[in-house]
Amino acid sequence: MATSELDQDERLFAPIETTQPRFWIFIGALFAIGLWGAFAWWTQLRRGLSVTGLNVPVYWGLYITNFVFFIGISHAGTLISAILRLAQAEWRRAITRAAEVITVLVLFFGMGCVILDLGRPDRVLNVLLHGNFTSPLLWDVTSVATYLTASTIYLFLPLIPDIAILRDRMPSRRWLYRPLALGWSGSPRQKRILERTIAVMAVIVIPIAVSVHTVVSWVFAMTVQPMWHSTIFGPYFVVGAIFSGIAAIILAMALIRKAYHLEDYLKPIHFNNLGLLLLVMCLLWFYFTFAEFLTTYYGGEPMHMVIFLSKTEGKFSPLFWTMVLCCFVIPFALLANHRTRTKVWGTVAASIAVEIGMWLERFLIVVPSLSSPRLPMTAASYVPSWVEWSLFAAFISIFILLYALFTKFFPIVSIWEIREGREHSVSEVTTRVLSYLPGASHE
Amino acid sequence: MTRWGMVIDLDRCTACQACVVACQMENNIPPADRSDSERGRGIAWLRLVPFQEGEHGTRPGLHLVPLLCMHCERPPCTKVCPVHATNPDHEGLVGQVYARCIGCRYCTTACPYTVRQFNWKLPQWPEPMEQALSPDVSVRPRGVVEKCTFCNHRLQRARDQASMEGRSLRDGDYLPACVESCPAEAMVFGDLDDPRSIVTRMSASPRAFRLLDELGTKPKVIYLSKGESGGDV
Amino acid sequence: MTIARRQFIGLMAGATAGAAIGLPGGRLFSNALLSANQPIYPPRGPEEFILSVCNACPGGCGIRARRIGNRVVKIEGNPLHPISGGRLCLKGQAALQALYHPDRIRTPLRRVGPRGALASFRPTTWETALREIAARLRSVREEQRPESVVLIRGAGGEIGTRVARRFIDAFGSPNDIPFDRASEASAAALFLTQGLRATPASDIRAADYILSLGSEMLEASPSPVYTTRAYGDFRQSHAARRGKLVHVDPRLSITAASADEWIHIQPGTHATFALGIAGAMIAEGLHDREFVGDNSTGFDDGPDGGLSGILEQHFPLEKVAAETGVSVNVILRVAREFAGAQKGLALAPNKGPLLGGRAFDHLAVHILNAVAGNIDQPGGLLVAEDVQLEVSPSERDAIAAAGHRRPRLDGVGGDSLIAGDPEQLAQAFATGQPYRAEVLFIVAADPLYASTVHDRFAAAVEHVPLVVSFATIPNDTALYADWVLPEPHFLEQWSLHTSPASVAFPMVSLGSPALPKPLHDVRSTGDVFLDLARRIGLQHALPWPDVPALMHAEVDRLFEARRGAIMGTSFDAAWVRMMEGAGWWAPGYSTAEELWKRSLESGGWWDPFYDHGDWGRVLRTASKRFDFRPDIVRQFAESTSAPAEGAGSLSLILFEPLPIAGGTGAELPSLQALLDPGHEERWQTWGEIHPETASSLRIRDGALIRVASARQAILVRARVTDRIVPGAIAIPVGLGKMAGGRWSEGIGSNPLRLLDGAREPFSLLPDFGGAKVLVSEATPSDQSTVKRT
Ligand code: SF4
Ligand code: SF4
Ligand code: SF4
Ligand code: SF4
Ligand code: SF4
Repeated sequence: MATSELDQDERLFAPIETTQPRFWIFIGALFAIGLWGAFAWWTQLRRGLSVTGLNVPVYWGLYITNFVFFIGISHAGTLISAILRLAQAEWRRAITRAAEVITVLVLFFGMGCVILDLGRPDRVLNVLLHGNFTSPLLWDVTSVATYLTASTIYLFLPLIPDIAILRDRMPSRRWLYRPLALGWSGSPRQKRILERTIAVMAVIVIPIAVSVHTVVSWVFAMTVQPMWHSTIFGPYFVVGAIFSGIAAIILAMALIRKAYHLEDYLKPIHFNNLGLLLLVMCLLWFYFTFAEFLTTYYGGEPMHMVIFLSKTEGKFSPLFWTMVLCCFVIPFALLANHRTRTKVWGTVAASIAVEIGMWLERFLIVVPSLSSPRLPMTAASYVPSWVEWSLFAAFISIFILLYALFTKFFPIVSIWEIREGREHSVSEVTTRVLSYLPGASHE
Repeated sequence: MTRWGMVIDLDRCTACQACVVACQMENNIPPADRSDSERGRGIAWLRLVPFQEGEHGTRPGLHLVPLLCMHCERPPCTKVCPVHATNPDHEGLVGQVYARCIGCRYCTTACPYTVRQFNWKLPQWPEPMEQALSPDVSVRPRGVVEKCTFCNHRLQRARDQASMEGRSLRDGDYLPACVESCPAEAMVFGDLDDPRSIVTRMSASPRAFRLLDELGTKPKVIYLSKGESGGDV
Repeated sequence: MTIARRQFIGLMAGATAGAAIGLPGGRLFSNALLSANQPIYPPRGPEEFILSVCNACPGGCGIRARRIGNRVVKIEGNPLHPISGGRLCLKGQAALQALYHPDRIRTPLRRVGPRGALASFRPTTWETALREIAARLRSVREEQRPESVVLIRGAGGEIGTRVARRFIDAFGSPNDIPFDRASEASAAALFLTQGLRATPASDIRAADYILSLGSEMLEASPSPVYTTRAYGDFRQSHAARRGKLVHVDPRLSITAASADEWIHIQPGTHATFALGIAGAMIAEGLHDREFVGDNSTGFDDGPDGGLSGILEQHFPLEKVAAETGVSVNVILRVAREFAGAQKGLALAPNKGPLLGGRAFDHLAVHILNAVAGNIDQPGGLLVAEDVQLEVSPSERDAIAAAGHRRPRLDGVGGDSLIAGDPEQLAQAFATGQPYRAEVLFIVAADPLYASTVHDRFAAAVEHVPLVVSFATIPNDTALYADWVLPEPHFLEQWSLHTSPASVAFPMVSLGSPALPKPLHDVRSTGDVFLDLARRIGLQHALPWPDVPALMHAEVDRLFEARRGAIMGTSFDAAWVRMMEGAGWWAPGYSTAEELWKRSLESGGWWDPFYDHGDWGRVLRTASKRFDFRPDIVRQFAESTSAPAEGAGSLSLILFEPLPIAGGTGAELPSLQALLDPGHEERWQTWGEIHPETASSLRIRDGALIRVASARQAILVRARVTDRIVPGAIAIPVGLGKMAGGRWSEGIGSNPLRLLDGAREPFSLLPDFGGAKVLVSEATPSDQSTVKRT
């Protein structure tokens, strides 16, 4: 009975077919926060950036921090799932979609942050009309746009078979699923084409993803400002991005698992495996951070030391050491330890720490370098205003809201891939594994 | 070729700040009220920055340096502008296109001299102060970046004047407002490519130095340090 | 949960799209929705340059206003003018903000409520105001009590003030009382030693070694632009070698920052230091034997060996070193440098227009200059020849003559060293002794802000039945008047200025109105007094219809002087060539009419010639010699005692930042934002304290601190810095006003309130030197009780 139900993957259809009132309460709450954000933005549109805490010389603050942060998160889905796909990691099947959705949605918010930061959002189209390609900002626009397109396709392709399933299963929603299914019948030919395209996209999407956060880092690194003008910023940012990305997936998985009772699909082993990945990134992040700060300190260039000290022992030190705690100490302790890593709560706790830490890292890259310019000036210190915080909260709420709505229209765990796994992969993998081994292969 | 540049003799400069106000009056810079001023949002294209060198022995060690846009020959600011809203022209004036600027403030963060200013709010002049606005300089909208233009509108006026008199531009015809006002005559302006111009000769002084020269921005504002004039004009 | 899903999605989509893409561009959007563009109305019409004279301070700079249509859009220096030389200071530049200030007085005001608040005043017409004031004046004269009319006025090189003085004189009152603290001390020193009633001028431009004994010449000069220009040439003149500047003061001021050497001494010991230097020079025989021998008295003659004897006895280097806190070696080195300089010049501790300093400090420095032979020499201390403009001494009728036989209400007269005595005046107002004051005119002065006895003054004013104040933007004194008469901004009126103090040549600057008509219903002070004269029958003394007519008459008088030149003509050839290169041409003149016309075209008249060492002119003592005043020096020597150190009590050092020097400037936003480039102070009053002192008093940098004297307490922002000696606190004067409009009222605090009106015994000048204050971090209760900074 239970088994048969599992074989039918009824659990995966449940969220789409039935919705409890509390879901709408949840959505309503998120939407309310969203509306508050809209009001904050309206205020800013009317009164200009004077409603923020920004000043001279701290021209950039929360908005740019969030831009870097959100774009970083976007490395969760597409990049991770692409890598897992190419690596033929079978445990990926249950998690790829949940991850890819994050990417597509969060990219909008990354872009949104830049719009928020503009003094003249009404002129945003000038970027297309008068684009100056020596400006890293334009590189950003280009690579993020490419990444968004690629990720969307990459999210959509594996959706097609599932949409087809829903089309046949839910006549009431044919209006939506029929056009999207693109006439999928599941014929071997279609299957072959789909799998090849997915594979190709997986290959294409990886360099794009890497380029995206590299270019984001260059927005800072291409200036001559102390502790921005650094050669390792590209990889440093990419590592941080994947780091926060994986943490985001873990959190998303944990929520879905709890909300839709998908314990049988999202098992501790998934969390454990992602936890291992997170651990690797944690160490990489530490390595880069250490390298960055050691070279600065050892070089001891006065201008750079001013920023260095403002972070390590100056007015930013509380934030700085919290960052170290959240990005390294806590996750390392939890993930290096087999007992905590194999527990869902263990990886979740680590992930929460990582998200906080990585946000702080972005903030500590943007603000301190601006706070102490090369030439002396009385720097009014930067404290974000209610408008900036409200818009931050609104973006996160609306992101979660859209994510939740997605689960109401499409399976958040790829049904056909799960089934495929059950039907073919088991035998495939056995033969594959055997093929790795000497002798065991049978002509 | 013409390369407009400025020499500031710190030995003459008394930090009187006449240049600062002259710039505000000339270039329609709105008066900042107390709160803006205290939050570091008062707009100033030119300001004095205090450099403290060491302890105060018998040498005062406090240097007050007039700081304006250096009109760098290799400006880090213009490269990064995503919409070509700030550009160096063929005579080396680094200009601003207020109507195109999207207010991203990338240039402001890229400028190592922190001389770029942003219009955090709508510039305002309590009635009847708007009557003092000069017709030569456009009032900036809210949300765009502005900075010292070397009073390029005055170059236009000087050119017209010269052509009316049927002659070419002479050294001293084109003087920015700050230079014209400086009571100590510490500021000198002219063509750095003209070997006979005063700026060229002064910039050859052994006292001459440039701010943050090591960044390779090639500033066209040149300072003369305190001390015996090493045979400069 | 009742909302249907589909609407929901619609909303979401909208919200997200909005948030993510931002709405597309377009003027409509940016103007209507963002209201990002400022609608401005560029002036129309032809461009014109009108010559005038800046009156933002007594500096007397010749300016040219750039007018387009009927708006002045910029003020620049008049290149032909010998004071400005085409340059301006920040105040002159900002003067446009005063012209178009939103809080200017737009009509005559009459007080209907309690004194001290602008809200107590109601607009009225000129006719009403002048009729009622004239009526009162007439009755006073009918009662044969002309002396009971009092004029308090500022420095007074400007024509409005001079008309007022002429009016008071003809009216018959001796009470023409200057309120001008700037030059009293230096004038006193000159009078004591050279017997001249004038202010000495320091020839900074020609000097090659300046020993500034706490003289804030670069911030607080009587004529900032003139001094700054001179300083520039002193430093890097194209001809001479670079001059050296040594600044001796407890505080690292803007002037000190420009100096080659800053010698920090104990507060209030400038005179001791100066005499120490003089003593050292004499001891080493480095004094100017020729001058001392031929032109002086009291050097080594008279009781206890004259000056040299007294210095030797009372100012041994060790004692001077101990008192000033400067090592003997340094004193000796400076003495030798100063004596060795070809054109040395010592400057007295002048802290600003409101803080002229103690007469003895100036006397000591004056003596030092004399010892070094700097009197009336190039690069030394000069005395300007004054030029006779008075058309004819205004004849006095019988009533007036009688009135002039009465004593002045402030008791000043004869040999007194002060020009005016606000404290005595307040006394007289309050007691009605020696006689009652009926009418008080206040012109170009703000005694209620700037005097050290403002509260006594405020109370005293109550006893004067009719108080008339003239102002452009309301000042503190105006709030206590019965009538406030709106003056035009200097760009709205005719102006005639004579040489400011500290300028060594006679000069008459002329200016015509830059605006076709004033912005508001204002009348120039000169016109008001001419009108009053007509109304009460004093035409015999003031017959002119209006100010320009009087100016013309005075310039005719100038013609009779048969000297000097139209501004421009007598500049050195290079200068003239450069000017003419720039399209200027200034002719000489052969008739009075021509002089008038050409002066208006070029900015005025001056006489650049100075005859150095004309002893007959500059030494007017009984002995016709420079008097070293050993008597006063001995008094001082015997009275000097090391300042007592109370627990936690600090020496109070006052100074005047250039933007707000003279108690003016706080009303302009551009100046409020530029109070001190050294500390980048803005919009507040601060107190500079040495780190050691601060830590001993547990005061953090940037903290709000309470500064209290026996008399009053104020709140200021602590600025912990090693730019001041330990044991002292330095506070700027110029903020903390009751009036002055939206940018001035209630901003900062006024340290003059801390002073107890102490006076220097022999001169009766206010003595800021010895003031002590208690300093502590402000408690919340302080912040509620004391006025917030
Ligand atoms: S005006 Fe001249 S002297 Fe005054 S601060 Fe500016 S540069 Fe220095
Ligand atoms: S000083 Fe700054 S703003 Fe000016 S040109 Fe150089 S980089 Fe650009
Ligand atoms: S703020 Fe304006 S000028 Fe500066 S980079 Fe952005 S668009 Fe260009
Ligand atoms: S050159 Fe013109 S714009 Fe630049 S600082 Fe001077 S006055 Fe201002
Ligand atoms: S010095 Fe005085 S008179 Fe001259 S410009 Fe400045 S304020 Fe005006």
